[in-house]
Order: sequence, then structure tokens, then C-alpha cells
Amino acid sequence: MLAIQLLINSIALGAAYALIALGFVLVLNATTAVNFAHGEAVVAGGFLAVALAAAAPDTGLPGIVLLPAVLLIMAAFGLAMSWLVYMPLRRQPPVSVFISTIAFGIVVANSLNALFGAAPRAGPPLFGGGQIALFDSAAGPLIVSEQALATIGVAALLLGGTGVLLTRTQLGRRLRACAQDPEMARAVGIDLTTMTALAFALATALAGAAGLMLANQFFVTAHDGGGLMLKAYIAVVIGGWGSLRGAAAGALLIAVFEVFVAAILSQPVAEALLYIALFAVLALRPQGLFGEAAQRRA
Amino acid sequence: MAARLLNDRAILAAGGAILAAWAVFAASGYEQRVLTLAGIYAILVLGYQLVFGHAGALSLAQGAFFGIGGYATGILASRYGWPFPATFALSFAAPAALAALVALPVLRLESHYFALATLAIAQTVLLAAINWVDVTGGANGLYGVPGIAAFGQAVPAGLPLLVFVWACVALAGWIAWLATRGRRRDRFTTLRDAPLAAAASGLDTGRLRTGAFILGAAFAGAAGALHVHTLRVVSPEILAFDTMVLCLTMTVIGGRTRIAGAIIGALLLTHLPEWFRALDRYYLIATGAILLAAILFAPNGIAALLPRRAAPGTPPDGPPDGPPDGSTDGPVQSQAAPAPRAELRIAGLQKSYGGVRAVDGVDLAIGSGDIVGLIGANGSGKTTLANLVTGFAAPDGGTITWNGAAIAGQPAYRIARAGIGRSFQHPDLPPSMAVRDAIAVALPAAHPQAALAGLLAEFDLAGIAATPCGSLPHGARRRTDIARALAANPGLLVLDEPAAGLTDDEAQALAAILRRRAGAGLALLVIEHHTGFLAALADRLVCLSSGAVIAEGAPDSVFADPAVRDAWLGAPMAADR
Repeated sequence: MLAIQLLINSIALGAAYALIALGFVLVLNATTAVNFAHGEAVVAGGFLAVALAAAAPDTGLPGIVLLPAVLLIMAAFGLAMSWLVYMPLRRQPPVSVFISTIAFGIVVANSLNALFGAAPRAGPPLFGGGQIALFDSAAGPLIVSEQALATIGVAALLLGGTGVLLTRTQLGRRLRACAQDPEMARAVGIDLTTMTALAFALATALAGAAGLMLANQFFVTAHDGGGLMLKAYIAVVIGGWGSLRGAAAGALLIAVFEVFVAAILSQPVAEALLYIALFAVLALRPQGLFGEAAQRRA
Repeated sequence: MAARLLNDRAILAAGGAILAAWAVFAASGYEQRVLTLAGIYAILVLGYQLVFGHAGALSLAQGAFFGIGGYATGILASRYGWPFPATFALSFAAPAALAALVALPVLRLESHYFALATLAIAQTVLLAAINWVDVTGGANGLYGVPGIAAFGQAVPAGLPLLVFVWACVALAGWIAWLATRGRRRDRFTTLRDAPLAAAASGLDTGRLRTGAFILGAAFAGAAGALHVHTLRVVSPEILAFDTMVLCLTMTVIGGRTRIAGAIIGALLLTHLPEWFRALDRYYLIATGAILLAAILFAPNGIAALLPRRAAPGTPPDGPPDGPPDGSTDGPVQSQAAPAPRAELRIAGLQKSYGGVRAVDGVDLAIGSGDIVGLIGANGSGKTTLANLVTGFAAPDGGTITWNGAAIAGQPAYRIARAGIGRSFQHPDLPPSMAVRDAIAVALPAAHPQAALAGLLAEFDLAGIAATPCGSLPHGARRRTDIARALAANPGLLVLDEPAAGLTDDEAQALAAILRRRAGAGLALLVIEHHTGFLAALADRLVCLSSGAVIAEGAPDSVFADPAVRDAWLGAPMAADR
């Protein structure tokens, strides 16, 4: 029973991680640069949910009602981020964007710290904060938190929606075209600047949604961003550089690993083992676990 | 005259003298302590410049190496009472050893993966420091680290420590200068800005990067030890990502490759919190904003803004002993020295990408003086074949022998050193480097300077020898790339679409050079779509289709072959170009 409960919790965590990783890859594909401020976008989404819930304390608005607002505001935040940290450097080598996003992340994290203080804050639950007994068995009832189930459901909807957007709509096809062959995309008349800005907006909105979901069970503090970005980064490496499905799968894998190892051993050991596992993946399969070696054109 | 006096060295010397005088005569004890810390960070940044600035690898483990040095000193000095010389030696040896250990798997990774892998190392070290309480003191760290004392002589806090640390800065600066001057600087620049050209020129990029990574880690460890001796405390804070960000910020703001940049960056960033004290807890926001502004508005750092003194001994234009520009006789012809022996044999070569057989059972033989044209439709495997021969890809099966030795699967730089050169379809040249230096990087170490002058004249580059590669027009870029490939004096030269985008005159001039070189024994394998160019140049053509050879022979007969017309030129054959 405990194992199943842990599994459900880890899938909930993994679903939120998958949203983060998906956004991370979207920006990566659009810009060929790592967005080090992506974790701060998650944290900002979490604090936004906290602030929105606090703005109307009497109504007790659940997270699901706040979600559209968080998505919209964070999308605007993503547009601003692309305009400030990416556009001026788009002709520079990717390392310039690394540094500009690191700098932007520092500004965001410390601004949030100044605004909300250093103490962890809890966001509103998506629907309710209770526990649900799913069914009884000889080994006892299977009890899971409402929030974990809601996270899985809502994240699945957002992931699926993003998938439909990318594969079924003209906008999604254009986004993918820009990622795969920017020159050709430009040649057929796609505006790369707009597409990159949209990728930032979509990625940041998804990160904000993940922030809202995580802020309830795991709380949110201003300096969580680095660790969350790192997990998205690792998920992308495990899933194969640039692969959207791979990133989501990698995120799920990380969460399962984290939850189970932490339950058996301890949180720091789980984290250290994750980094060591990543290191092993990089050393043995530089192309990622599922990915195929990306061939550099000579 | 004023311009001569106002060069960067004069400004830096004057600034340094004023700062030193202030530090000794006017600074308070607290200000001296801040200056001491600035010196410590300058050493850290000097090390980071080697990895990030010169080798171009965004390592995020420099803060971890700094912390490992600090913990080595803290643990050994406070727990076991080791003397300073022993703790100091271990403090830079330990991170250097860790760097050497992880260098092999990590340094071959592409930039994104490299940054992540080094970040993972840093996080693991941080977790160990926090959780291995018995040894590290856990989250609280270790207190009561003694000051520096060696050979019966203590270095008390204040001015003596300040002088000691800045003497270390001078030593570190000198070592960094030795490690990156002259030809080595050019090699690092090529490796960083044009990695393909570096490998094709026979530069052992792995060794250069590993050396920079290890030396950078040793610098970081030494700085960490001094940091702990100054603060008398070591705690996990030293390993936090903030330390790494501070180091990166100092490097970007000061300048990525200049020694003065490391010192300026360290001085500025250690003093900013003092100047911005009024900002209180918003200080870190200001740091981030300044880093962002620096990368947006001064991406090359403050050191690059100083007026630069012309390097001594640089001729204003052209090589010192080059033949006069535009001469078409005499020295140019005479310098086509005999090329080394060339005998390439390819048998049953195979390479697949996913399910696609890019090269499928190719046999080919090329000997001294041969000019072999390689033709085929886009995607027929031409560039893949060139990559396999030159070591830019490893074959799945088959053999490649070069002068009797098996070379299949060897790294590109080793194949280049063995005498197989190549040019690129899209020339990969370091944008900031002068044409002359970009070519000279490929010259064998013992090669006379005259060879460079000869190459510049042969490729009509003498007039633009001092022009940075980044501002070359297309034709000159291509000529520079081919001259770079020939500088290593190869026996076989593989050219990937050398005539693409050239005017007819440029293509003819290039063909004349190649014919002359072949006459001196150079073997050539030329990938080309330009049929006129090939028909006049090659003595043999090989046509690939779907990775396999479908025709081989004299140009006329290959062009006439219906299978070739079908596969390459398209069934309704248009007139030749």
C-alpha cells in the first residue's frame, strides 16, 4: 500500500516536473540556449498563486480558479524575459544567454525574497486539501491526497493541451519548424522573433502552472529556482536533448527516483545519487538515455 | 604622443600604484581586509579565465574547486593542526586531482552538457559538505582555522596578509600569462572559437582543455585556502552556487581572457557591496542587474574598453619577408615543395545514422598526386565520407588505411597530424583572429615563418593578412580555410565544396593552386557540385548515391554514365554549367 501511495505521490511530483521540463525544452529548441532563469519562473508562479490567494482570503479561491490568471500573467512575464534577456543577445554565442539568464534569475529570486520574505509559503490547493481513501484492501485503505490526484489530472491536461497545440495547430507547426531549421523557417516567411517570444511565453506559463501546483504540497521559497531548473535540465539530458516527450519522461523518472530513494534512504542521499546517476549517463551516453547522437554538421 | 601614453598598460600601472599607495598608507583595517578578499577572488578568476575565457568551456564547478581547497585547509589545519605549507599544497592539489579525474568524461561533452555535468559535481560536493557532519562540521562548518604561518614566520591579519595575498596574485598572474602567451593563446582562441578548424589543424583540443581545467582548479583551490585563512572559518556557504555566480560575474565584467580583467573584476565586485551598503537586502538584486547590464552592454568586459597598446613587433601589414603583392611568378611557384607520401585505401566503409545508411560499403584508393572528385546528390554521403576519412565521425565498419596504418575511428587531430588535412563546406575560422594567425596555428611547431609568407602569397592573402577572419568576404574566407589546411603540410587534402559561392575567376585561381599542389605530390579528394570546376581539375571522379559508389572513372565517362545522370543530375539532363 505504501509503495502505491509513494508511486502516486511521485507521479504527481513528476507531472509538475514534466511541465517545467517541457517549458525548458521549448525555450532550448527555440534559442539553442539554456534558460537558467526557468526555475525562477516556477518560483514566481508559486508566489503569484500565494499572492492571488491572499488577495481574496475570505473567498478561499481554490488553485484551479487561479490557474488561468497565473498562466496569463506568467506568459506575459515570459514575453518580458525573452525581450530582456534573449533578444539583445540572439546573435551572440549561447554562453552569453546562459549568463544573461543566470543574471535575470538572480534578480527575480532576490526580488521575490525581498517581497515575500525568506520563510516558506504555502500556495492554495487546486481543489481541496483533504485526503481521499480510494479503496479498501486486505493491506488497508489506499489513501492519497486530493492535491496529488488533482496535480496529476491538471498537469496531464496541460501537457496534452501543449501537445495538441504543437502538433495540430499552425502555430505549433511553426514553432517546431523554427526549432528544427531556423533558416528554412525564415525562408518560408515565419517570423523567428515572434516565434521565439511565443516559445518563452508558453514555457513560462507552463512553469508558472507547475509553480502553483508545487507551492501547495512542497511550499515555495525564493531560492528554490536553481534546484528546479537543475531537475528540468537533468530531465532533458536523460530524455534526449531537444525531445519534448523525452523531457516529460525524464521528469517522471526523476520524480520516481527522488521519492522512492528519499523514502528508503534520505533526501540528501537521493539528491546526491541523482547527480551521480546523471554524471554516469553523461559519461557513458553523452547523447542521453533515449536520444540518438545529434550529429554536428561539419 | 598622448595616445601613446594613454595606452592600457600605462592606465593599469597608474591605477595599480594609486591603489597600492592607498592600501598601505590610508586604508583602514576593514578596507585592507576587503582588498585581501579581492586578491583572493582575483586568483579564483585567473583560474576561471583559463577554463572559461581561454578554453571556452562554461564550467560551473569552479566554485566547488574553490570550496574544496577551503575545506582541505579548514579540516587539516583546524582538526589536525597541519602546518600551512602542507595544507596549502593539498588545497590546490585536491581540486586539481578531482578535476583530472572528471576531465576525461566531462570535457568531451558539448557546452550544454558540460555546464550541467560541472553543476552536478558542484551540487554533489555541496551536499557532501552539508551532510558529512563528522568531517566537515555540517551546515555550521568549522571554526578556528589558524592564520598563515610558515618556516617560523606568521603572517598576521591586516597589511602583512594583504601583501602576502597580492604576492600570490602576482605569482598566479605570472603562471597564467606563461600558460596562455604566444602560440598557445592562438591555439586556445582557435579551440574556443573554431573547434572544427582546431581539430582539423591537428590541435589536441582535449589536452588543451584538460590542462586549462586542471590548472584552473588548482588556482581555485589555492584561492579557497587563502579565503579560509582570511575568514578563519569554512562553511558550506563557500560551495553555494552564489560563489560560482560571483566568480562568473567577475570574469564577465572584468574580461574573459586578460589578466588585468581578472583583477579589475575581483576588485569591483568585492567593493560593490561596500558602495551599495545603503541598498541593504536589495544588494543581490543590484548584483544581478549589473551582471545583466554587463553582458548586454559590455559583453567583452571592462578590460576590453581600455585603449589597447599596439602589440610590439607586429608588422603593420603583411608578413615581413613575403613576396611583393600581386606577383605571379618567382617565389610562388618555387615554394610548392614536394608533399609527403600519400596512400589512402578505403575498403567496405560503413556508416549509419539511425536507420539511414549514409555510407554503405565504399571502396576507394587515392595516391600521391591524384585529384579525385567526389560527386553525388545532396544526402548521398559525400560529407559523411569526408568526415569518416578525417576523423570527424567514426565508421561502423570497414577499414581506412593511410600510408599503411589503420586510422579508422581515430580522433580528428591525430589524423590531421598523420597528414590528412581538410577544409570545410562552411569555413570555421575564429572571428577575432587575423588571417595570418588563423593560418599559422596549423603550422607544425618547427615550421619556418617563411612557409606562412609563402601560403599568404599563394592564396593572395598577403594584403589582408592582418584582417580579422570575422570580417572577410566569402571568397577570402574560403581561401583562408584552405591555406589553413595546407599549412600543416598534409599528404592528402580533403576539400568539401571548395568552389561553392566563388566567382569564376576565384574558382579558376583556386583550381590552378590545387593543380600545382597536386603536381608536387599532394593527393586531393574534392567534394564538389560545380561540374565545370571538377571536369577541368579532377583526373578521376567517384559518384555516390545512397552512400554507395555507382560510378568511378575519368570525368567524361562518369558524366556520360546514365546512372550518374539519373542519380545526380536528374533524369532530364540540363546543360552543363
